[in-house]
Amino acid sequence: MAERPGQSFGERIWAHLRRSPGAMAGLSLVALAFLAAIYAPFISGEAALLWYEPGQGLSSPVLVDIFNRWSYRRPHDLVFNLAALLLPPLAVGWWALRRWSVGRRLRWSLGLLVLATAACWAPWLPGANGWQSVWRERALPERNAAVLASSTVAGRWALMPPIPHRYDSTWQGAVLVPPGTVNPATGARFWLGTDSVGKDVAAQLVMGARISLTVGLVATGLAMSIGLLIGAASGFFGGWIDLVLQRIVEIMLCFPTFILILTVVAMLGRDVFIIMTVIGLTAWAGTARLVRGEFMAQAVRDYVAAGQVLGLSRRRLMFRHILPNALTPLLISATFGVAGAVGSEAALSFIGLGDPTAASWGALLEQGRQNIKYAWLIYVPGLAVFALVTALNLVGNALREALDPKRR
Amino acid sequence: MLRYILSRLLLMIPTFLGILIINFAVLRLESDPLDAEAGMGGAKGGEGVSAERKASAGTKRYENLIDRRRRAGNDLPALVNLRGFLTKEDLVERLRRAAPGSGLKDSQRNQIEKETWQLGAPAVRPLAEVLADPALADLHGPASEAFSLCAYTTLYQADLENLGADRINAIRARNDRLQKQVIVYEPAARGTRVTDPQAEAKRAAMAELAAQGDYARDRRWSAILLDTGFSTFVGRLFTGNLYSETKKRYVFELIAERWQVTFWLNITAVALAWLVAIPLGIRSARRQGTLEDKTTTNVLFLLWSLPSFFVGTMLLHLFCTAHTGQPLFPNRGLSSEDSLWYSTPGYLLDVLWHAFLPLVTLTYASFTSLSRYMRGNLLGELHADYARTARAKGCDGDRVVYGHCLRNSMITMITLAAGLLSELFAGALIVEMIFSINGLGWLLLDAAIQRDAPLVMGATVIQVSLLLVGILIADLLYGVADPRLRSRYG
Repeated sequence: MAERPGQSFGERIWAHLRRSPGAMAGLSLVALAFLAAIYAPFISGEAALLWYEPGQGLSSPVLVDIFNRWSYRRPHDLVFNLAALLLPPLAVGWWALRRWSVGRRLRWSLGLLVLATAACWAPWLPGANGWQSVWRERALPERNAAVLASSTVAGRWALMPPIPHRYDSTWQGAVLVPPGTVNPATGARFWLGTDSVGKDVAAQLVMGARISLTVGLVATGLAMSIGLLIGAASGFFGGWIDLVLQRIVEIMLCFPTFILILTVVAMLGRDVFIIMTVIGLTAWAGTARLVRGEFMAQAVRDYVAAGQVLGLSRRRLMFRHILPNALTPLLISATFGVAGAVGSEAALSFIGLGDPTAASWGALLEQGRQNIKYAWLIYVPGLAVFALVTALNLVGNALREALDPKRR
Repeated sequence: MLRYILSRLLLMIPTFLGILIINFAVLRLESDPLDAEAGMGGAKGGEGVSAERKASAGTKRYENLIDRRRRAGNDLPALVNLRGFLTKEDLVERLRRAAPGSGLKDSQRNQIEKETWQLGAPAVRPLAEVLADPALADLHGPASEAFSLCAYTTLYQADLENLGADRINAIRARNDRLQKQVIVYEPAARGTRVTDPQAEAKRAAMAELAAQGDYARDRRWSAILLDTGFSTFVGRLFTGNLYSETKKRYVFELIAERWQVTFWLNITAVALAWLVAIPLGIRSARRQGTLEDKTTTNVLFLLWSLPSFFVGTMLLHLFCTAHTGQPLFPNRGLSSEDSLWYSTPGYLLDVLWHAFLPLVTLTYASFTSLSRYMRGNLLGELHADYARTARAKGCDGDRVVYGHCLRNSMITMITLAAGLLSELFAGALIVEMIFSINGLGWLLLDAAIQRDAPLVMGATVIQVSLLLVGILIADLLYGVADPRLRSRYG
């Protein structure tokens, strides 16, 4: 492979991925899932995108609703909603600052997102009852599709999201209707049918992407952090620290994790954050092993000895000098880790241990299992999980082929 | 050789201990059922019921809850039990802190009160001393409550089986008697006030009960480590006394029963997976780079990414649902209801018919990893110098592959096979649920959902032990496959 001397790690990976059609297909699918998750309120929801009321002018209820804590209850919803607003300016920024390295631009983007989340979460606005935050309980949007369909006001027009139903609204008149049926209340179509309580499957599919990706990213992030710390300590220090840590890793590797996750979630409660934490806490052992191997190999290199002679602190040596050289296996196992966590979350919901208040692909598929004749309840969520997992595995595969020194 | 095995076994002890600790931690996760209930005593109950009856009913309810905690082993401290050293003064302090007007928050008082109730047998004597002291009359009400709950004897399943009927009846009568000795009281500004006209008689009865029971046994030193939550769990595990409350059965009995179903399913699935995947891997490796190789690799990759719960549901939808006329395959169980009356070949066919779709769901995913490893390893060997030499000397392809390279590429396969033993045991949770197969997997899934931790943890310990044994066997097999590795055995 052609490797220019000045190429950064990110650029090298990108150059490899671009050449592999499988990886590009995987990446575009993952990007699609992210776009769906980020723009979920604009794709499916009851707040109108634009609403023109004669005499009151034009308004955009959805822009208010994305800061409504009643509509989007979980913190990760706030992050995704903010990402929806920030994505266009960030895209322009990425193009404008293209002389910056990918890593630098990524750090700045994520930093901005975190800042925006903090600004919306923190109570700093003066309100009627003390300080208020931007993200708070507000009135539910009154300008929705049902109102639009039931009353005719001369001169009123509105632009609704393509799926004008929320993922958690139940439509009594339309239980288990096939794809394409018209909702009598709104006049809009259920593009992918409804489930057994009359919720729109398409809307749940879109919001389910949020849950899947959040669980995948957070659980894997947690697993990678633990695995990195334990593996680094184990490989760098060696000796009895290594012996003890390796026993712990061995225990986690031997443990049948899925049943452990099941039991703990059943005991602690069916909550998205408990689910991600438990998945993350049980998935770090493989990473720890990989990182340990890399650190052991790097620790005997000359540059480490040089660093020691120069008097660098152990922490600096470990995380600024060795870690960048050990990043490759971490990146590969993170990609497969996200795929695994997405699968675990779906399996958990499929069993009936998912968060009952969240839209999840696994829960949808479970409905399909109970109503086995209704094909759309089986294939829509099933193919969604399959597509996302395959896409992530494709990317991971391409990364491995590109970066694994043994395969180069 | 023996020394090698021994050293490996020694290294497994900490691992096994760690597994036990994780299991134990999960068992202890169970939320406190006592917290779910509000305070007891005379305060609760409908109008028109005597205070006496209400107190008795309240004690009964808490007896049941404490009984449940004891059965789960959750009433004992996790690792160190110092309850044998409780004195009268300790209990007076606890009761005072739990009494109204102690200055603590209601929730804290509640917590202390409940902890006192769970102290069990070691607290009986000190509590009797509190009750015998007329100067502590303001504490007699709560102390009598605590006394009746601490002195309550739990009849475990093993006791019901082993103790004689007389003894069991005696214990039951005693528990009933204890329940009636709660002194009725009401909260006062500071502490409580006894309102029970029969308080004196009850106190005398309690003193008598405390004297005659087996609470006198002085084993507080040994109890420090041996009478703890963890030691109880380990003890029950190794004596086979782990008991499932939801299924009302001994855990290991239940597991053995369900495993008979799972075992046949698993062994067929594993055999199928290896029989298909190994030749597939060999074939792919020998035709590296051809269209066939690429197609196999890609198809297997897609199969690997398919979640099994989706495949199972899909198969159920496609083949087990009556879209038009009779469905192709049955949708539940492993045999027809009337299959006992079939002839032997008929029965086997029936089972095969039932097991076909579950087997497909169980095996498709393992094809990929197995054949991928096989292909990768064999490729490495085929490109090795000795293989080229063999070919140069005129060995034909089959001989090179099967005579020379296969054995060397078996090392990784042995590593994979190390997990086989535990795989045969572990039920396929989701597949058994989808196809309603009454095996171990479904049992455990059900147990996990119903929070039946002893059942899940019992199965987990067996599975992990089998995995450790498998790893040990694999370690020994490495030497068989590759004589160079034998030097490790020393």
